[in-house]
Amino acid sequence: MTAFVASLRYEFRMQVRKRTVWIVPALTLVLFVLIGGSLLRDLFDPAERPVDPRTAVVGLAVQLNALLSIGFGCLLADRLIRDDRLRVASILDATPASPRARLLGKYVGVAAATAIPVSVAYFGFAAAYAVDTGEPRALGWALAAFGALFIPGLLFVAAFALAAPLVMPAPLFRVLFVGYWLWGNVVSPDMMPTLARTLVHPLGGYPLAAFFDFHGIDGQDTWAGPIPGATLNALRPDPTPALAWLSIVLLLIIAAAVLAGGHALRTRRIR
Amino acid sequence: MRIEISGLTKTYRGGVAAIDDLDLAVPTGMFGLLGANGAGKTTLMRILAGIVRPTSGRVTVGEHDLGTGAGRTAVQRDLGYLPQDLGVYPDLTARQFLDYVALLKGMDDRTVRRRRVGELLEVVALTEHADRRLRGFSGGMRQRVGIAQALLADPQLLIVDEPTAGLDPEERIRFRTLLSQFAGRRTVLLSTHIVDDIGQTCQEVAVLAKGRLIFRGTVEELTRRAEGQVWSVVTDGPAPTEGTVVSALPHDDGMRYRIVAPSAPRPGARLLEPGLEDGYLAVAAGRGNASRHPAAPPGRRP
Ligand SMILES: Nc1ncnc2c1ncn2[C@@H]1O[C@H](COP(=O)(O)OP(=O)(O)OP(=O)(O)O)[C@@H](O)[C@H]1O
Ligand SMILES: [Mg+2]
Repeated sequence: MTAFVASLRYEFRMQVRKRTVWIVPALTLVLFVLIGGSLLRDLFDPAERPVDPRTAVVGLAVQLNALLSIGFGCLLADRLIRDDRLRVASILDATPASPRARLLGKYVGVAAATAIPVSVAYFGFAAAYAVDTGEPRALGWALAAFGALFIPGLLFVAAFALAAPLVMPAPLFRVLFVGYWLWGNVVSPDMMPTLARTLVHPLGGYPLAAFFDFHGIDGQDTWAGPIPGATLNALRPDPTPALAWLSIVLLLIIAAAVLAGGHALRTRRIR
Repeated sequence: MRIEISGLTKTYRGGVAAIDDLDLAVPTGMFGLLGANGAGKTTLMRILAGIVRPTSGRVTVGEHDLGTGAGRTAVQRDLGYLPQDLGVYPDLTARQFLDYVALLKGMDDRTVRRRRVGELLEVVALTEHADRRLRGFSGGMRQRVGIAQALLADPQLLIVDEPTAGLDPEERIRFRTLLSQFAGRRTVLLSTHIVDDIGQTCQEVAVLAKGRLIFRGTVEELTRRAEGQVWSVVTDGPAPTEGTVVSALPHDDGMRYRIVAPSAPRPGARLLEPGLEDGYLAVAAGRGNASRHPAAPPGRRP
């Protein structure tokens, strides 16, 4: 327990003080607003914004999650391998602290630190929207969306970002990850195999459909369920609330498995 | 804490036998470990620190068996380890780094931990830099942070792998003295290439070569291994090729060489009193005088 708390506390502290952890999401947002066409601006335009505050706030969650997860994954990519690279690992490995607890603490600590700017941005926009429209309920939906969409999605990404650089250089992981993210989230699943609309979609298609009844800003999109002609349809049952919970649990189980694999690999190497 | 090592072998993946069927007992007090680059000193220390797992063999520290998870954790609770290749987190201050390591060592009580960290910063003379980021520390200052973290839990077993590398002479002597004072009834295992450091601090010493034990005994015994083998040769010609040249000094009539060799390397060579370094060189070159205390009793090894 102490080992978990100690490494959580210090890993959080080191990560949250890194300037890039703040600069990368800030630049991403600025770029996105400048490019335009996004909810970030439309949210404050009575003519453009969705009528329903739930649709507005959940739509905002989808956009920010899709956008900021890219930097989030990239910012975590050096965190696990850095102990060996900085040659601190020997000191830590010689302590009686359980290596598994230390890894878990590091995982939660760095993920939480890197998620702080993300949540500041999300809740900032949601609060501004709530004030602008006089809709306090928007904040409740924002909280729910954060728990059901951001947290599982970011934990999923964080596990890969920590473990993958054990088997490939961190810069290569970043390139592959950004590639995957665009492939998985932008390209239509009937054009090539992707995780979009499956139970393990890190943007949370099933919670979007089943918990928030979200069908895109204009109400025309489908976020979960089978697509005629697409591969991986076995992973795309028709959405229900139970499946939405299952989808969240699956994301967390995969994250845990990836972390455990990374742990086993590193242990085998140093021994 | 007494360390008992028997039949210890470590073969890294790739087939390097870094430790090869090693038998060694380390008593309480200061114990020196010598050996050429790649002899296996660091590997042995990493095994004792519970980081590296042996391929075969048995190690006990005190009553704990390093072969079991519980044994390793028990040993690590009472262990201070200063790695040879020491690194720190550049984004933490010295105080924070020590606090972090102390927490991982299980020092839960905040007041006790803070006091202990403060004391050790004092011991390694870093109090005035305690709240600076480690990024800006010189190599020697980082080394002192490493020394401080090793002493945090007041360990019964202290393993220090080339601890004085990078320290200035005053700091090196200060640390050497600190180690001796610390040892007392505890066990301190010190590896170094500075033979003199061992002569100044250790009663007993082991010499490794290619993962095997080639000497174990007192510092005096190691010195005596070069008795009758240390020569002074003065020449203006080419350097003698026999034996190991320990030093070469310019001299009125050319160069004065100090040489460790089993017989006079030149006619007229003068026999000198051996020092510890001579003894080490003689043993390392496989020419040490037969000892009355052999490293391993004859017949013990097949
Ligand atoms: N992680 C590793 N993987 C493979 N081989 C290794 C590893 N660590 C050490 N070795 C090899 O094991 C042997 C012993 O290395 P070790 O570091 O224990 O020696 P040493 O006595 O500490 O040397 P030095 O005086 O240079 O520090 C060397 O041949 C080295 O190349
Ligand atoms: Mg070494």
